[in-house]
Amino acid sequence: MDHWLLAAATAFALIGGISGMRSVHLGRRSPWTLVWMLGCLLWQIAFLAHRGQERMACPLGDRGEFLAFLAWSLTVFYVLVGPTYRISLLGVFTAPLVVALQGIALIPGVLTEKPTPLPGGNAWHETHSATSVLAMGALALAAVAGVMFLTLNHQLKERHLKSGLFRNLPPVRELLTSLTRLLWLGLTLLTVGIVAGFMMPDHAEAMPHLIAALAMWGAYLSLLLTKTYRGMTGRSLSLACIGLFLSSLSVFALL
Amino acid sequence: MELLCFGLNHKTAPVEVRERFAVGNTKLGEASRSLLELPGVAEGLVISTCNRTEFYLVASPMRDARVSLEARLLEQAGSPQDPLPHFFQLERVEAARHLCRVVSGLDSMMLGETEIFGQTKQAYQAALEAGSTAGVLNRLFQRAFGIGKRVRTETSIQEGATSVGNVAVDLAEKIFGHLANSEVMVLGAGEMSRITAQSLMSRGARSIFVANRSFDRARALAAEMKGHAVLFDDWLKTLENVDVVISSTGSPHPIVHRSHIEQVRKARKFRPLFLIDIAVPRDIEPDVAQIEEVYLYDIDALESLADEARLRRQAQIELCERIIEEELAKASLPGL
Repeated sequence: MDHWLLAAATAFALIGGISGMRSVHLGRRSPWTLVWMLGCLLWQIAFLAHRGQERMACPLGDRGEFLAFLAWSLTVFYVLVGPTYRISLLGVFTAPLVVALQGIALIPGVLTEKPTPLPGGNAWHETHSATSVLAMGALALAAVAGVMFLTLNHQLKERHLKSGLFRNLPPVRELLTSLTRLLWLGLTLLTVGIVAGFMMPDHAEAMPHLIAALAMWGAYLSLLLTKTYRGMTGRSLSLACIGLFLSSLSVFALL
Repeated sequence: MELLCFGLNHKTAPVEVRERFAVGNTKLGEASRSLLELPGVAEGLVISTCNRTEFYLVASPMRDARVSLEARLLEQAGSPQDPLPHFFQLERVEAARHLCRVVSGLDSMMLGETEIFGQTKQAYQAALEAGSTAGVLNRLFQRAFGIGKRVRTETSIQEGATSVGNVAVDLAEKIFGHLANSEVMVLGAGEMSRITAQSLMSRGARSIFVANRSFDRARALAAEMKGHAVLFDDWLKTLENVDVVISSTGSPHPIVHRSHIEQVRKARKFRPLFLIDIAVPRDIEPDVAQIEEVYLYDIDALESLADEARLRRQAQIELCERIIEEELAKASLPGL
């Protein structure tokens, strides 16, 4: 049952992404991308609610749930940030990442077939898991904004200004502002997650995981402090943002 | 009752003839109503812009109305030279088709421009209020506005900037978004700098700094733009704060080198910088474009973008004409 819910969410994101890309190709904005992504969000919530009931806790018991939760968090931030900052194209860039994350989660064996209740659930543990994955969602969306910046930067530098994609991409300065705000949001959530992690009764067992989270937190903090006080080119900021997100994703996938 | 369009435009008459027949915005209604005084004229409307003055008449018999209008125009011209060869005349469906082309921007000097739509609406509104339109012109103009909207929505006739100034402004907006938070520096107080800077200021750029070897000219241009003049030796210091630089000096060698930009990068905190080099020979060393946060466009790049937009608009003409024909065929308007 829960696999079908996640598959439906993936289908919605896929349709949203494809319809958005078609609109972009034709040089038009796609108001439907947001609608499809909202549909995706509803199916994701249904999936996570179902898994949460089975786990009797925040559904972060296996890699599949982690990926699904991350995709949900990415979608939530897109729905919140995209329309607010009039970054309609963000959905077109977010949808493929959501499809990829959920697609991996749907590979047989990645999601536990019969999830059992998670042991030792307490408020600190739940807060740690949930805010950490939410932080990853915000940081993932910052990485998506970074990809958008690099695309636009390349087009402006190489003077490829005729495509529908160029016409629809938001301005350089708006992209960099959104990216920076998402990084601060991600860092704040990550801080809460790490503090909650150290407050968990069994935090000694999770020490490698917490050390990795601390390293990631330190890297993002350095990036933001450098950006704020010294300044950084948009390209370096975007590359650092994408690199940090990919490396944290791989570290947590391995741990 | 028949429809007639009698007028002159930028294709048929030079500006010294057009200006003699121009009608001010506030007098459009009066001018339209005065057409009803001509023999046989039941409805009349005048459109007047810097590029055209056109009289739309619904009359019977048409010949008498036209002859009277010609006589009035000859009298108005007050010149020994006969202006009538500059006027064109279109009847019935040809006149309706012409109006649709005008409203759609197909007959404009700058193909696809949007201002003409509003100007024609204003002329129609004035005539309507003056009571000089009725069944035929009301239906014709309302239909033409509908067609004009469809042409602009379904084709890309108005897409892309077709002048160097507008290309520069579009690029600036692609980099900085709203220009209200952007500052501009002009190097060299020449005409091209002035035009480009004016385009940026008209879209809301926050402030402008002008640096020129002759400080008096810098001051004059700065005063015209409500900006600030800076000594030419201080342009590098000013560069720390601005977002856009328009360079058009008469220098035979580049005046902005890569080393100059490198010097101020840290003070600028590596913020994006848009450099517009419209000088020939170029003022900005091409190597500057290698700097990550710099977007450098020279006159050739800007002109080729404007040309591409013009060509793209040209390519849309056939599609626009097809829409007009399709809509006119459906309309079955009276007087055609």
